[in-house]
Amino acid sequence: MKKLIVSIVALFLAVAIFAQDIPERPNPPRMVNDLANVLSTEQVQQLEAELVQFNNTTSTQIAVVTVPTLNGNDPSDFAVKLHEKWGVGQQGKNNGIVVLFKPKTGTEKGQVFISVGYGLEGVIPDAIAHRDVVDFEMIPRFKQNDVFGGLYYGTRVLMELASGEYTADEYHQSVNDKQGDGLFGGILFFLILFIVVPILRGRSKRYYSGGSSLPFWLAMGMMGAGRNSHSGSWGNFSSGGGGFGGFGGGMTGGGGAGGSW
Amino acid sequence: MKKSWIVLIVIALLLVIGYSSVKNSYNSMVSQEEGVAAQWSNVENVYQRRADLIPNLVNTVKGYAEHEKETLAAVVEARAKATSVNINPEKLDAQSLQQFQEAQSGLSSALSRLMVVVEKYPDLKANQNFLDLQAQLEGTENRIAVERRKFNEAAQAYNTTIRKFPKNIMANIFGFEKKIYFEAEKGAEKAPEVQF
Repeated sequence: MKKLIVSIVALFLAVAIFAQDIPERPNPPRMVNDLANVLSTEQVQQLEAELVQFNNTTSTQIAVVTVPTLNGNDPSDFAVKLHEKWGVGQQGKNNGIVVLFKPKTGTEKGQVFISVGYGLEGVIPDAIAHRDVVDFEMIPRFKQNDVFGGLYYGTRVLMELASGEYTADEYHQSVNDKQGDGLFGGILFFLILFIVVPILRGRSKRYYSGGSSLPFWLAMGMMGAGRNSHSGSWGNFSSGGGGFGGFGGGMTGGGGAGGSW
Repeated sequence: MKKSWIVLIVIALLLVIGYSSVKNSYNSMVSQEEGVAAQWSNVENVYQRRADLIPNLVNTVKGYAEHEKETLAAVVEARAKATSVNINPEKLDAQSLQQFQEAQSGLSSALSRLMVVVEKYPDLKANQNFLDLQAQLEGTENRIAVERRKFNEAAQAYNTTIRKFPKNIMANIFGFEKKIYFEAEKGAEKAPEVQF
C-alpha cells in the first residue's frame, strides 16, 4: 500500500516536471543559455561577457536562450513566459529582453523571437525589432547557419537601441514601507469607539460585551487572518562589478517581434 | 471594581488584535481588487492600441488593393464597433465582458480576412510601411494575449482570496464580489493567421 502511494506521488512529480515546458531559471545566473547546444564555448563566453558588461553599465538585461524545441508553443508565448519566469530586467523598470532561438531541424522551421520588456517598448518598438533586428541582422545569418553571428549582431543592435534609456545607479529602490500606518492609530480608534464612547454614554448599554460582535472580532483575532506578504518576485539582487548577479524580476507585456526561416 | 478593569483590558486587547487582522485582510482585498481593475485597463489599452493601428493599415492597403473595398469597409466598421464598447472596471460583469469580447473578436476576424486578401498583392507585401504595420499588429495581438492572461491571473488571485476562510467572512461583510474571467474564444487568443 505504501509502495503504491509512493509510486503515485512519484508519477505526479514526474508529470509536473514534464508539464513544465519553460526551462528553469539558470543557476548560477547566466545571460547566455545555450540549451540547444548551437554555440561553441568561446562564443558563449564572448556573448556573455558583452551582455554582462551591458547589464553592469545600464542595468538593462538581455538574455539569450537557445532551446532545442518549443514543445509546440507559439514562439512569442514561449518567450514571454520565459521572460516572466526568469524575471529578465529590473523590477519596476522592466528593462529586460529575451532573445529566444530555436534551430531549424529536419521538419521544423527555425524560430526566433525577441521579447521586449514593458520598459523598453518605447525604444524598441515592434516594427524596429522586426525590421532592424530580426529581418536585417538575424534571419539572413541564421539562413546560412551562422547562429552566433545572428545572435551577436542582433543583440548588438538591441544594445544600441536600449543604451541611454536606463542607467545602472537608479535601480536601487527600497520596497519596505509596508508597515506604514502602525498599530497606534488603530488602538486609539478602537479605544475611542468601543470603550470611551460607551463609558461616556453610560455603562448600562453594555455596548461592547456580549452581543454578536464580540465573537466575531475574537474569531478574527484568533485566526490571525494571515498577513499579506509581498508577493513580488525574488527581489532585486543583481549588482554591478564582476560577474552577473542575477535577473532582477522584470516583466513584459508581450512586446517584441519574431520570425522564422 | 478591579475585575471590571481586567475585563476592559482584555476586551481592549482583543479589539486591537481584531482590528489589525481586519485591517490587513481588508486592505489586501482592496489592493487585489484594485489590481484587477488596473489589469482591466491594461487589457483595454492593448485593444485600443490595435484599434489605433487600423486607420493607418487601411490607408496603406487601400493604396495597393483598391479592389478590396468590401473587406476594408468591414474592418473599418468592426473597428468602430469595437471602440464603442467600453467597460467601467467597477461594472465588469459576465454580460458586459461578453459584449466586449464579441465586438473585439468581430474586429479580429475582419482583420484576419484582410490579411488573407493582401496575400494577392505582392507589391503591398514588399512595402516597408506595410511590413512595419504588420509587425506592429502581430505585436499587439501578442500583447492582447498576454494582458488577457494577466487579467485572468489577477482575477483568479482575487477570487481565491475572497473565497478563502477567514477572509470570505469579511468579503461578505464588506461586499467584495467575485470577478469574472476571459474565456478562450474562437480565434481571439491567436494572432490573425493566414489560412487558405
